[in-house]
Amino acid sequence: MVKVAEAGVQEEVPSIEKPHETPSDWEPNILAFACHYCAFAAADLAGVMRLSYPASVKVVRLPCTGKLDYIHILHAFEKGVDGVFVAG
Amino acid sequence: MQAKRDEKERIAMIVGKQKPFEEIWEMIKSFKKVLVFGCNTCVAICHAGGGKEAEILASLIRMKAAQEDISMEVKHAAIERQCEPEFFEHVADELRASDVVLSLACGVGVNFLSDRTGDTPAYPGINTEFFGAVEKAGIFKELCAGCGGCILHLTGGICPVARCSKSIMNGPCGGTSDGKCEISQDVDCAWYLIVERMKKLGTLEKLSEIMLPKDWSTGLYGGPRRVVLEHIAEEGKES
Amino acid sequence: MKSGSNLEKVLEGGHFAVTAEVGPPKGTSASVIQKKGDILKSYCDALNVTDNQTAIVRMSSLSGCVILIRMGIDPVMQMVVRDRNRIAIQSDILGAVALGIRNLLCLSGDHQKFGNHPTAKNVYDIDSIQLVKTVKTMRDEKKFLCGENISGEVPLFIGAVENPFADPFEYRVIRLAKKVQAGADFIQTQAVYDVGKFARWMEMVRDQGLDKQVHILAGVIPIKSVGMARYMRDNVSGVSVPNEIVTRLEDAKDVKEEGVKITLEIIEQIKEIDGIHGIHIMAVAWEDIVPVIAERAGLLPRPIL
Repeated sequence: MVKVAEAGVQEEVPSIEKPHETPSDWEPNILAFACHYCAFAAADLAGVMRLSYPASVKVVRLPCTGKLDYIHILHAFEKGVDGVFVAG
Repeated sequence: MQAKRDEKERIAMIVGKQKPFEEIWEMIKSFKKVLVFGCNTCVAICHAGGGKEAEILASLIRMKAAQEDISMEVKHAAIERQCEPEFFEHVADELRASDVVLSLACGVGVNFLSDRTGDTPAYPGINTEFFGAVEKAGIFKELCAGCGGCILHLTGGICPVARCSKSIMNGPCGGTSDGKCEISQDVDCAWYLIVERMKKLGTLEKLSEIMLPKDWSTGLYGGPRRVVLEHIAEEGKES
Repeated sequence: MKSGSNLEKVLEGGHFAVTAEVGPPKGTSASVIQKKGDILKSYCDALNVTDNQTAIVRMSSLSGCVILIRMGIDPVMQMVVRDRNRIAIQSDILGAVALGIRNLLCLSGDHQKFGNHPTAKNVYDIDSIQLVKTVKTMRDEKKFLCGENISGEVPLFIGAVENPFADPFEYRVIRLAKKVQAGADFIQTQAVYDVGKFARWMEMVRDQGLDKQVHILAGVIPIKSVGMARYMRDNVSGVSVPNEIVTRLEDAKDVKEEGVKITLEIIEQIKEIDGIHGIHIMAVAWEDIVPVIAERAGLLPRPIL
């Protein structure tokens, strides 16, 4: 259902939500920005080791998280992501 | 040499600081079409009001509007300088199509913009602080007050008008201690710096002369100011 | 005589002068001033009335001075340049002279940041040295700052303040010389606790010959409590309270008596310094100790001139 990849995230999540009650089966949508050279490689390795993580986590690969601009984080939230994880 | 080059790299400019988000929200919440409008010169350098900050603020406003259940169209744009007419051409339509322009330029820009937005109001998104320099990355310091009567040659290149809390001409007053001003341990006493600097330059004896009351009429206190270069401005001939 | 004030007569007569301070109330009651005046009257040659000291709004110095004049006291009107521009300053000076004020002390004034209106706009149109010069021009040339003539005399004995404990130490004397050059007739100093440093400063003053051109009155503030000593040591910029004074008060059984003793010792040492022409006692909220100090320091009786 969800592609764990560096693209296509924005289309698959709803737009800004209004505040509402949290349903009991709720799982947060997490967007991870990962550095190609470390965190993303670690995620790859996790895949090789057959470790799993929830399908609601999407990973975006960046050449370097040092260049991650605030606006991409804000856009993620605007598009309905519940949490942003920056790893690099 | 390294130190010298670094000093030269400091840039003097107008320093601004973004207003608290709540204040901005109160200003604009009743409008349907908001244009957050950055200025890419001085206030971009101090990370307060450039195109990048405009985009970020627009995003924050959209999220706030969604949270408050208010339908609002928030766009962002920026030009090189909001204080010169030629930069406005390509945004003219966008400005007029908005219900409000939230300008992130300094006060000069907001005023100048107000003349160019027709019936659309221009509101300030930042507080214009002072003329300053980048002391270090992220630290901005007031160094000039724009008084219209420079005396830096008499004070070792350190301005008592801008940098002395009392703008006194014959300092330091009795409030200086350990080189700091009475108002705060974080504020250098300008006159302490002046004395030390002039000692170093070998010109301390100049300070023995009483500096006469300053002519403040060249500053803000003389009414709004205007500089006309007659050899350039045709208008100069009229006034 | 420049002004004919009692303070001028005492100093010009070569007497060791005693002045004290009257802080006006945060209100409209003249009796606050009268009460302090009554306590201090027979023990001092003149009384300073402070001008919105520490930038806290109080009854104006000018009104306080007038209340003292009605009691037969010679007041020193303090005037800070924080709150008035050159127009208001000169206007208030004319009014002060008309109401009988003969001594004027020129100060910068504490910054409003620590007062009770920290969001106020300050003025600082002219500075304290320029104020001294302005008053001198008004008195000696009968001219306003702009050069226009003043009708009538402006007989004022001009005072200025100096803080020998502020920085840069060696520059303070140059600045004092500027005040003298500007026209100061007398100087009241910031409170002296570190007599050694004060003596070194006076040595520099004498080297410049300034003690011959201006009457210097050394300031003293009697300390009432350990808390006050600590506060002055730590928080009052430009005052240096040595640790041994704080320790002495901490160890004392009778703190007030120890405070008086310390003040008396300071006065004793100050009197020995060449070029000191008087003492200015700033007994903030402790006016009734001034007679005790004056008496025990051997400063009585005051000359009647």
